[in-house]
Amino acid sequence: MDISSIFGDFTAIIPMIALLIGVLIVPGVHLGLKKPTATWGVALAVVIVSLVLNVILLTGDYQGTTLDMASYNPYSGLMILLFQIVLFLAVFVSNSSIETTRNNTGTYYALMMAAAMGMMFVAESSDLITIFVGVELTSISSYALVTLKRGDSRAAEAGVKYVVIGGMSTALTLYGISMIYGLTGTTEIAAIAAQTQLTELNWMFGIAMVAMIAGYGFKIAAVPFHMWAPDVYEGASTPVSLFLATGSKKMGLGVFFQIFLVMFVAGTACSAIAGEEIRYLFAIIAAFTMTVGNVVAIAQSNIKRMLAYSSIAQAGYILIVMAVMNDYAASAGIFHMFTHVFMKGGAFLIVGALICAGIGEKISDYRGLAKRAPFLAFAMMLFLFSLAGIPPLAGFTSKFFLFSSAVGTVDGATSEWVWLAFVAILNSAISLYYYARVVKTMYVDKGETTEKIKVPKIFLAAIVICLVAVIVLGVYPQLVFNYCEAAASFLLP
Amino acid sequence: MFIEYTWLIPLLPMLCFLIIGFVGQKTPQKGGYIAIAGAAISCILAVLISYEYLTGDAYPAAVTESIHWFTIPGGFEINVGYYVDGLTCMMMLFSSFISTLIFVYSLGYMGEQGERRKRYYAEVSLFLCGMLGLIVSSNFLVMFIFWEVMGLCSYLLIGFWSFRHDDGDEASANAASAAKKAFLVTRLGDVCLMAGLFILLGEFHNLDYASMFDPANIAAVDSDKITIAMLLCFGGVIGKSAQFPLHDWLPDAMAGPTTVSSLIHAATMVKAGVYLVARGYPLFVQDANVMLFVGIIGGVTAFIAATMALNNMNIKRVLAYSTISQLGYMILGLGAGGYLMALGIQHGDAALIAAGTAGMVAGCFHMMNHAFFKALLFMCSGSVIHACGTEDMRLMGGLRKHMPITSITMLLGSLSIAGFPLFSGFWSKDLVLDIALEAGDETVWFTVLWILAVITAFMTAFYMFRMWFMTFMGEERENAQHCHGESPKSMTMPLVVLSVFAVASGFLIMFGLDGIVGIEYTGAAFVVGGAETEGFEYFSELFTNPYTYLTIALALIGIGIAYLMYVKCSINPGKFNKNGESWLYKALSNRWWFPQLYNQISWKFGYGIARGVDYVDRQIIDGTVNGLSGAVVGGGSTVSKMQTGHVQDYSSIVLLGIAVLSVVFLVIAMITGGI
Repeated sequence: MDISSIFGDFTAIIPMIALLIGVLIVPGVHLGLKKPTATWGVALAVVIVSLVLNVILLTGDYQGTTLDMASYNPYSGLMILLFQIVLFLAVFVSNSSIETTRNNTGTYYALMMAAAMGMMFVAESSDLITIFVGVELTSISSYALVTLKRGDSRAAEAGVKYVVIGGMSTALTLYGISMIYGLTGTTEIAAIAAQTQLTELNWMFGIAMVAMIAGYGFKIAAVPFHMWAPDVYEGASTPVSLFLATGSKKMGLGVFFQIFLVMFVAGTACSAIAGEEIRYLFAIIAAFTMTVGNVVAIAQSNIKRMLAYSSIAQAGYILIVMAVMNDYAASAGIFHMFTHVFMKGGAFLIVGALICAGIGEKISDYRGLAKRAPFLAFAMMLFLFSLAGIPPLAGFTSKFFLFSSAVGTVDGATSEWVWLAFVAILNSAISLYYYARVVKTMYVDKGETTEKIKVPKIFLAAIVICLVAVIVLGVYPQLVFNYCEAAASFLLP
Repeated sequence: MFIEYTWLIPLLPMLCFLIIGFVGQKTPQKGGYIAIAGAAISCILAVLISYEYLTGDAYPAAVTESIHWFTIPGGFEINVGYYVDGLTCMMMLFSSFISTLIFVYSLGYMGEQGERRKRYYAEVSLFLCGMLGLIVSSNFLVMFIFWEVMGLCSYLLIGFWSFRHDDGDEASANAASAAKKAFLVTRLGDVCLMAGLFILLGEFHNLDYASMFDPANIAAVDSDKITIAMLLCFGGVIGKSAQFPLHDWLPDAMAGPTTVSSLIHAATMVKAGVYLVARGYPLFVQDANVMLFVGIIGGVTAFIAATMALNNMNIKRVLAYSTISQLGYMILGLGAGGYLMALGIQHGDAALIAAGTAGMVAGCFHMMNHAFFKALLFMCSGSVIHACGTEDMRLMGGLRKHMPITSITMLLGSLSIAGFPLFSGFWSKDLVLDIALEAGDETVWFTVLWILAVITAFMTAFYMFRMWFMTFMGEERENAQHCHGESPKSMTMPLVVLSVFAVASGFLIMFGLDGIVGIEYTGAAFVVGGAETEGFEYFSELFTNPYTYLTIALALIGIGIAYLMYVKCSINPGKFNKNGESWLYKALSNRWWFPQLYNQISWKFGYGIARGVDYVDRQIIDGTVNGLSGAVVGGGSTVSKMQTGHVQDYSSIVLLGIAVLSVVFLVIAMITGGI
């Protein structure tokens, strides 16, 4: 069955349309039935429908464009799949988490789906303006999601910080876009790339680039635009933290890929700015991001903050792609985004599950966890080791691909980014320290009680999904990596 | 139809390992039946697959199927899959069959171990999984992974009795150190093997047998690299198959349960090394000197190990030395055949290549026969130990009356290993000697090795019957007097079954086995199996060969001397060794001082280096690391202080960041001359 014969010109955005319908009906379901579980069921069904539609499109190698605005291609299909997995995990556990506010169920699911929709639109865009709109849809929905945890002053504080810094970033982005538009007279990325090849460009272009890097760097929490992240991840309810850390961040990285990779590599770069300067800039940001993320993570005593800093560091690893700028690196980066969804998602899920069971967020609360919840402790250990990059888990494989791209094994010659790979490997070593500390707390330290912990079944199911993915992608990466390569070769033909 | 399920063969024992590991304590016999079922089903599957393959259309071409596993940048493709040819069939048949019998035997032998049986059955299942996986895998990497699985299991099983370690029990301490020794010594070989595989991967860009054994691909590769790689791979064989000079771990490995020894010596582990040589034949024969080295190591090992068995008093150790010695025979056969084949390929001489094929047949054939009779001998010795509670032959004697089944089956095994005419060991041993002598026409080295091997045949007959007579004949000594009779059915039944094979498996050579396991080189391909079989010509060939009568005579003399010394007592062994005072006796008792040599090397040399490294590590590296980690942790707290929590500070840092980035950008642009 050819799916495009059913949806016609709108096939390219059909996963988003499914979500849009969900956004519109879920609040109604909530008001009509007043049953959180029913609302959850409807929202989950919508997410699954959207997911299935996208999987059909992706495996069917569909390519198409809707309204000259959103185009479905191997890259966007894969990124949409990633956002959908994140959305699925977050929605799936939300009904069982005591943190997720029950009285706002309708709003909660609608906002989350709207945010995911924004991400998906971004993935399909090739124009600065549509990217901007998509990012804003996600951002504004997430501001509300963070503050939805009522009666918690930490959530309110986090929300305010998020809005203020987010607003500033939006302003910076717009500033950058307007300068680009002023210089080139277009907002379409491919056209800008073509333009830069012809014209002698000046420092204004550079400033515009820096403004845009700063604006979108806020989304991926790149240093020095990362300050909001730990506060927000800590303040928000855990499913929302999961959603932001694994989804929203990936959108920011996707934006980087779509704008800068396409502009500087696919557009074979302009004569004035050979892309070299931007690449150094990215290399510096990447090095700082991973180092600050890892070093500060050591000092954290709250596990959510620690995971927040660790995601900052992970984003730093992925930023290596922006320095190396070839298709192998890009496919490695996309693959790391996937593995990161499962390993970081799994870690957040365990934190969320334990909060439901009355265990606090402090790392010291996890003492003796191995006795109280052997499976959760074991799963947490695997997720953390995967984040640290220990074989044969997924994190090792994706990091291996990423770092080897920086070393430059592709064409046999050593690349100029070996130092970046070195910094990254050093950082992996540092990260092992704070990951292993959690494992030690769980396994070696004696807890006050050895009473068994009961956590909601739904959480266990979600954790098992992540665990299986972390192991399978570690042992058999080709499963997803083939798609990543297709996506990367679409971005960088 | 079955052949597509070859991958199930290693997977079934793996499944048993998981089931027993997780819920074994709740099942009868603590997982014993599950382990037996897993091995038995694997064995049946192996039979079905072998039948289908050998009668199928594809035969003799190897049937292989693999899926892509991962790609290493630079065009290195790694696959995972199965590879079935005549050699695979023979190996998986005898491994799974003997393992099944050993597991059945374990019901009786390990019956009194209570909860510990769970650990035992789980580990032996994993062990079997390692061996079968190694046999059916389609490339060197997967083979190496299973090779290491076996390494791990041998460590765990040899150290099985070490659980009393904390109480200062001496046997436990021995078991623990034997396990460590086995692990470390074989590791030395594994490192070589790994290095060899790296070189091969670098040259061939994959490790699949199917493409690496293609003469066209081999020709495209630098032959020096192959020589080095194969020498390194043979290092792995030296470790795993306990060849000189890394043979010393195997006698110590006797510290494990006897069933484990039986498994290691007959069905798994040490056979892996021999299998690697046989499997890698197309690569090994690229250089005659590599094969000469292989042959020398094999011949020397066969001789040295046999000498050490001459005066040992421990029933299991005698068997251990005999295993090393017999492994030496196999390696010698493969080496001699490979040497001839290598010369044949070099000079384009078809006769030499055919002789090489015979060498491969001799080595593999001896491996199979040895598997049967050595499993039998070990299980018999286990039965004796079970009944007497000691391993010292000086405390046994006269057990023939108490343990009729054990004594007869062990006699059959001993006749077989001693090379008594028509028993299985006779056929394969004489084939090995034959091929060594033939290789002696090309280089005098092999003539020397042939002489050593013939002397070894004499010693084998002597020490095996010394063992048998001391155990079952003569007066009843200390422990034999309160021996509690024949072992239970679950132990004697496998003995009887195995003794049939130990006696008769040699006849297989006349029914086409040589055609199945021999490797043919046609110039365009290396093909295992499908060759013409000599059938009953072996019979006439052997019995018209004067050298055959020489070895038969030597074996009979060996048995006779043992009879005179230990039954008739008309020759006093003390006369020869000056009552244990002679230099030679001491040398043999001390295993030619190999353990001391190892210790000297590792203490003087290794420990010296270790101390130096330790100094550098503690003072310089640790100092740096501690300093750095102090800086990192301190830096962490400092930087996290910057996280004030004030949103004003956050925004100013963002703006500061933009300013810094802009400046950096402009500076870089100016340096590179972009603007």
